[in-house]
Amino acid sequence: MKRSFNSFLLSIAAFSLLACGCASTKQTSGTPAQAQAPTGKEQTGAQLWAQTCMHCHNVRSPSAYSDAQWDTVMLHMRVRATLTAQEHKAILAFLKSAH
Amino acid sequence: MRHLFGAWAAIAAVILIGPVFGQEPTTNNFVSRQDYEKLKADHDKLQQEMNVLKAQMQELLKKPAAAAGDTTKKQTEELEKKVADQQAGNDEAISELEKQVKTVKQMAKDSFPGTTKMMLAGYGSATFMATSKGYGPSQPPEETPATPRNGASSFNATFNPIFLWKLSDRLLFEGELELELQSDDPTTSTALEMAQISYVLNDYMTIGAGKFLNPSDYFVERQHMAWVNKTPDKPLAVYDGLMPESLLGAQVRGAIPVGPAKFGYAFFVANAPTLRTTADDPAHPVDVGTLNSEDFGNSLNHIATGGRVGVFPLPELELGYGFEVAGVGPPGSDVGALLQSADLTYVRASELLRGTVNLHAQWVWSHIDRFEYDTLGAFNNNRQGGYAQIAYRPDKVENEIVRNIEPVLRYDVLDQVKTPIGFDERRWTLGLNYWINPSTVVKAA
Repeated sequence: MKRSFNSFLLSIAAFSLLACGCASTKQTSGTPAQAQAPTGKEQTGAQLWAQTCMHCHNVRSPSAYSDAQWDTVMLHMRVRATLTAQEHKAILAFLKSAH
Repeated sequence: MRHLFGAWAAIAAVILIGPVFGQEPTTNNFVSRQDYEKLKADHDKLQQEMNVLKAQMQELLKKPAAAAGDTTKKQTEELEKKVADQQAGNDEAISELEKQVKTVKQMAKDSFPGTTKMMLAGYGSATFMATSKGYGPSQPPEETPATPRNGASSFNATFNPIFLWKLSDRLLFEGELELELQSDDPTTSTALEMAQISYVLNDYMTIGAGKFLNPSDYFVERQHMAWVNKTPDKPLAVYDGLMPESLLGAQVRGAIPVGPAKFGYAFFVANAPTLRTTADDPAHPVDVGTLNSEDFGNSLNHIATGGRVGVFPLPELELGYGFEVAGVGPPGSDVGALLQSADLTYVRASELLRGTVNLHAQWVWSHIDRFEYDTLGAFNNNRQGGYAQIAYRPDKVENEIVRNIEPVLRYDVLDQVKTPIGFDERRWTLGLNYWINPSTVVKAA
């Protein structure tokens, strides 16, 4: 079992190196969401939307739901994805303003 | 005498006339009557003509002013009439528009569900699976005769409606059903996946109670949904595996920004799973020593505690550790279980690769204390397993078809050779996804 865990760690390391190597770019050439440090104060709602949502799934367009639906969806996401209060407010404000 | 008088008269006349004819107009004082009459006539005539002219002039002066004033007045009146007509038309149109807006507002108001907001979300899937051999329940390799495990192929479908009910800005109810067709049962399986109410206490803490997805198992809570999971099947150890999928209990969770990083947490107390001490099928006692997490009645009165903490040292990287501790043994025994999970998520958009790289990995350990099982005796009831998965989607290329394609590779491990299961599993999954839209995908693996 120890050997299989070790080999598993090796495979994670290999995947990680591959992912980091492939994704290794200058910070300025990444998406705006990833060009800055992950503090709510520094990032706009749009940046947080792109960066936070893509952590688990594809990013949905702001026009996918109405404002009232986004209120409900974002509260659900705040609970499920453990968003900070600032992330919740900033992303919700962006989604409502962007359609 | 008479002749003399006549001569003197003639001479007087000549003298009188003479000066008349011979008078030079050296003086204006005298005119002849004829001239006078002529002049008077001329004067009278002139006077008359002048009077006529005067009268005509006066007539002329009066006539144009009157005509211009009338025209302007008429035009003004016509314009005023037009403006009035147009204004009336506008007023009517505005009034009609106001009526329509009022109707639409009322319709919207009638359809709006009050201060609470209910939303139906969820997901579904249609699947085709074909296996060439080795399909069937797990069995110890030494068992003879071996149960044939032939290949099989079948279609299947699932539907998971999710009810989201936002009762206020802080209060949310989430419910999820899972409707599945059973391969060996004509009925439809209906399960309550989730029924939880959550209350946002403050910026850093939310409390919840009910049935909720196991927060210590990252894949179950964040990745198992059909439109999120990147392969048609699920990792061996982390789903229907070594950790309960859902828990009945209460939890507290939240996220705290810590400088440039973020710290997420979730802790719970819940009904504990129960240890299976006997086999459903004595001929195949593979389930002995596993945990039953669907004992909703908590028949053994055990409580499980646990949780997960996650750290975001970088925006694109999350590292998490989850755990669950519970008494699981039958009454009179002191059998406990320690379940642990470590997870890693790395998702980054890359300009260099013109797309997004997506890496997920998770490892789970299950330790159950020593117990003497009736038929099998005691055994080392430690199991572990996990997966590593990488996916890449070229979502920054120009071609609309290419940027929706996503190859994915996953490696699965499940080690339980020392348990009644009797073997370890390794699985490679190579898949190719095509994203129709952000939440709809065709997967092949």
